[in-house]
Amino acid sequence: MKPTLESLRACLDGAVPAVIATCAADGTPNVAYASQVHYVDAEHVALSYQFFSKTRENVLAHPYAQVQVVEPGSFRHYRLRVQYLRTETGGPLFQYMKAQLAGIAAQSGMGKVFVLRGADIYRVLDIEAVDPRLPPAPPPPDALLRLRRTLDHLGACDELAQLADRALAALTPGFGIRHALLMMLDEAGASLYTLASLGYGHSGIGAEVALGKGIIGVAAHERILVRINHRTGDYAYHAALRTAATNEPRIPLPVLAEPHSQIAVPLMHADRLLGVLYAESEHDAFFSHADEDALAIYGRHLAALVAQLAALPDDAEPLPAAATPAPTGAPLAVRYFPDDHSVFIDNDYLIKGVAGSILWTLLNEHAQSGRRDFCNRELRRDRRLPLPDGGDNLETRLILLQRRLAERCPAIALEKTGRGRFRLVLDRPLALHAML
Amino acid sequence: MSIRLSAEQAAFLQGPLSINVGAVGRDGWPCVCRAQGALVARDRRTLTVLLAAERGREVLAALDAGSGIAVVFSHPATHATLQLKAPCATRVAPNSAHHACHARYAAAFGGELGALGYGDELVRGLTALTAAGDLAALRFAPEIVFDQTPGPAAGRVLAAA
Repeated sequence: MKPTLESLRACLDGAVPAVIATCAADGTPNVAYASQVHYVDAEHVALSYQFFSKTRENVLAHPYAQVQVVEPGSFRHYRLRVQYLRTETGGPLFQYMKAQLAGIAAQSGMGKVFVLRGADIYRVLDIEAVDPRLPPAPPPPDALLRLRRTLDHLGACDELAQLADRALAALTPGFGIRHALLMMLDEAGASLYTLASLGYGHSGIGAEVALGKGIIGVAAHERILVRINHRTGDYAYHAALRTAATNEPRIPLPVLAEPHSQIAVPLMHADRLLGVLYAESEHDAFFSHADEDALAIYGRHLAALVAQLAALPDDAEPLPAAATPAPTGAPLAVRYFPDDHSVFIDNDYLIKGVAGSILWTLLNEHAQSGRRDFCNRELRRDRRLPLPDGGDNLETRLILLQRRLAERCPAIALEKTGRGRFRLVLDRPLALHAML
Repeated sequence: MSIRLSAEQAAFLQGPLSINVGAVGRDGWPCVCRAQGALVARDRRTLTVLLAAERGREVLAALDAGSGIAVVFSHPATHATLQLKAPCATRVAPNSAHHACHARYAAAFGGELGALGYGDELVRGLTALTAAGDLAALRFAPEIVFDQTPGPAAGRVLAAA
């Protein structure tokens, strides 16, 4: 029986380089290494086009080629008879291959010379198993079982903050994942912010990634799952995660300095992108193709749960105010910059954007009226806040704000008092300064 | 008219390299097969590559039918790569020197891959590719040598007849 292209996906990870044989117009053979042979679908592969090479010249003149791929772990060879169809220079497949190539390039110390110019699409016409007598590679762990175990640990969640934490924690017993981030898309759809993290020295809650930057930004921008199974080293795919405009206040992403495997899973609900689940490992080839499939399903499941929890109705009104003694001690200086809604506490950066603007509004409301109890519904209607219509992200922004405060400024706290209701709790008096 | 390989090229080609042989069949389909070992003649004008006959039957049939030959040699640790081409190749009966070369190559290339962290399974698989008595030897006189180390200079002609 002929092997199927699906059954060869492990051979297409670049662990053992593939070669491609082509034929020139005058009949002369040519053999070259292919940096990437990417699985497109059951009948197509894509090869990376980096330079105008003899291979490229040949397939443009005579589109038939043979590609030899090797199964890692067994060294069984397969030969694919392929026909060149077209070259793609943009879009999801191109972006995926560009991100993967960065991983391969860094692994081989060739980051500077490996720049993707196009994704050459080939139809696979025939597959030959060259070494049918060699024993197959041991199968990777059962990804379906891993997914089931992850879902068992996730359990039932009735609020977003709980879901965010459990969604990451469940990955450890499920997939053995020890480092992960849950990132949500911001209101403008221009960047993602960290809502929860797993396994880092500092949480990085609130850290941002611009759409299209690094593996997380590419996954969000193209709405595709991106998996890189090699160390990305100094290449921009990693660096872009860690650097931002240096003159802006920012929270550093807590990611590994040199991940050997990375996966970024877009959280899609219907046609909407809600965020990205990112996981990484210090080990090469940590995520199998089957893990990729299973995590894609997990991403869809998480997105549906996020959407479901966000759609639950809020309690109608804030709780009636309870009398509390005024806080004592030296006042905390709270500075607010309206341009980017950034808030500094005693000169230390706390938060910016929608969450910064919410905090500033709450603190002013409290300073003017003494109110401590608030509800989401009134915030959604508040014209001072830069929330889009509907304020879908309000709950995740409040979780972000609550977590940032708990980490950086425990003297100011937001306590949940019901669904869509919360209380501002102050341990110190505040001195509010708007930096106009 | 063949070229004479430099002493450095000859030493490189006989090292623990990944070797792949390409040809074009009568039907116009290009084909490729992994080779396991190369011997450069003393005058450095011809070389013999060794492959498993069963695994390489498509390439061997193409060469028997008069195809040109292209052989790419790559050092896995450095990616230093050469491609040699000739208008034809001749099958020769494998002799004891060929068998010794093949055994040496399997051990050296296996060690090279092991050092790169490929693992024992892959090294075992490599040595299992050629069954006993299945060795084929292809002799050819290269007419052109290309530098094919990945990068913008890939494809540069290093020597031509």
